[in-house]
Amino acid sequence: MNILEARNIAYSYDGKRAVLKNVSIGFETGKIYAILGPSGCGKTTLLSLLGGLDSPTDGQILFNGVDIAKKGLAFHRKNNVAFIFQNYNLIDYMTPVENAALTSKQPSLPFLERLGLTREESRRNVLRLSGGQQQRVAIARALASDASVILADEPTGNLDEDTAEEIADILKECVRQADKCVIIVTHSGDVAKRADETLWLKRGEIYRG
Amino acid sequence: MSFIKRAVLYCIRQRFKTAILFLTLTIIATFLLTGIAIRDAADGATADVRSSIGGKIMLEPDTEGNMGGGVQNQWGTVYGYTGDLITPDIVAAISRVDGVVDYNSEDTAAYYGAGVDFNYLPAAFNLSYTPYGEASSYTATLSSEKCAAFQSGKYKLTAGRHITPDDRQACLISKELADYNGLAVGNSVNMYSLDTDDVTKFKIVGIFDGTEGTSGNALTVDEIPANCGYIDYSSMFELFGNELTGYQQLTIYVDDPTGVQSVYDRIATLPELKGKTLKLSIDTEEYDGVSSPLEPVQKSVNIMIAIIVAVSAVILALLLTIRVRSRKTEIGILLSVGISRANIILQLFAEAVLTAVISFSAAVPLSIFTAEKAGNFLTSASLDVKINAEYLLPVSLIGLLLIALAVTVSSWTVVRSSPRDILTKTS
Repeated sequence: MNILEARNIAYSYDGKRAVLKNVSIGFETGKIYAILGPSGCGKTTLLSLLGGLDSPTDGQILFNGVDIAKKGLAFHRKNNVAFIFQNYNLIDYMTPVENAALTSKQPSLPFLERLGLTREESRRNVLRLSGGQQQRVAIARALASDASVILADEPTGNLDEDTAEEIADILKECVRQADKCVIIVTHSGDVAKRADETLWLKRGEIYRG
Repeated sequence: MSFIKRAVLYCIRQRFKTAILFLTLTIIATFLLTGIAIRDAADGATADVRSSIGGKIMLEPDTEGNMGGGVQNQWGTVYGYTGDLITPDIVAAISRVDGVVDYNSEDTAAYYGAGVDFNYLPAAFNLSYTPYGEASSYTATLSSEKCAAFQSGKYKLTAGRHITPDDRQACLISKELADYNGLAVGNSVNMYSLDTDDVTKFKIVGIFDGTEGTSGNALTVDEIPANCGYIDYSSMFELFGNELTGYQQLTIYVDDPTGVQSVYDRIATLPELKGKTLKLSIDTEEYDGVSSPLEPVQKSVNIMIAIIVAVSAVILALLLTIRVRSRKTEIGILLSVGISRANIILQLFAEAVLTAVISFSAAVPLSIFTAEKAGNFLTSASLDVKINAEYLLPVSLIGLLLIALAVTVSSWTVVRSSPRDILTKTS
């Protein structure tokens, strides 16, 4: 059973340049999906549509079989999905604990500690953390949100090789422990190797790898 | 995390940005509080002026069309007023009207008396056109306290009392004249009038000063202010009984100037005035003279308050627009994690309100100081400018309205954007 599904979706900028053409793909819980493809092929656009950051020009995004547009994209973003961005997108005047607790009612410190941040680091300003630590905070925020689907847009893109592998392992571990569906847009072969399924996006169409 | 917690965190952690907003709001609140305090002080001062001056109604003979056909004599054609006069009966009826607190008739140089048993201060020319030397002029009055020279403060009573409507053969003389002749309150003086060819005894009921140093190079005795005094109007009727049957004019004093019109209406309907060729009018000259310096203050303060509100709205909108634009990424992140647009606007509003609460608290002591300075700067009249607790409510409401308007205007375009657009552009 697909937890998240793109059904015949299309997307174009200003109704002219088609980025996605009739894309249909389903995602299951407990799996990591890696979406690969050349730059500008529409990987981030697909992820944005799956996460309700934008609406498709045509087609539907279904969460547990229900069109996400019915309850509203904000509801989908708040309750069903969580994002991890390449540039972390943390709120700069908050500590890691506060960032991770942004949409969660559960204590966020255990998530941060599980991801390797000390208590002291968890109460610092996020800007005083390293890139790898900031990405861990972003992952903790995604995990603490209790969303079933984690959408990661090049989560290791700004990190060195060792840290990137570490982050990829953390994501894989999360899937195993929390039984989530993780969809990662990446250029990294190492990250893609850890995925259960690899998807290729070319000329606006999607192919299973 | 609630929008209030996010707002508190922002205010505490972004101290520099909060300080800028705090200073702006403090300045706005100080100006508003000061403006309202000055406006209220000017209103209060105007009300005080009203109650201290009271209202005045004038009753005069209506000379228009009542000057007769003219009488031919050796000097030519002489026209005289042929209409009705203000008689003591009319004055008595007016004095009983509800709201009338006093009345006066003042006839300058109505009586010329030569000193029978006293001497005037000498002038350059000492003319002896009466058996007792030169005569000086006296103002006939019903109530000397209400005479122009005493009302304006030019003359001040230093001994005795003022002439009242009940007096008979009473007079007020200057301190200079009293000292010159060794006279005091309670003494009597005899004066000879060339008009009546008679000597009349007047009792000195009061002595006034204010004439000192005003004599200059007077040519005649009556040009020296110290030689001129006041006598009661009753004596005038006794002395000139056949020729004088009424008052030249009557000034009627009302306790509350706001009630002048109703008192005027009651006087106008008196049967004693019905069909008489007398003119009744409301005199606001004195009130206008005192209150007019305050009117520009009231007007300018009202304009100032309007300008402050308008400029504040623009400044706040600009300041908050800059703040919101610098927080595009944050707004994009909040939208991406599913926080609603309304919730984000509420956070921005709460941040401004939290800062405003502290600003308004700081503005109160600050405006107490500035209000006093601004009050003195705007007018030479003494204004009792105070910051009252009741001003905080209108200032807070105006402030909240300005903030709500500025937050909505400044955040509208950003919050309406798609989170993807915001994050794509900011990254």
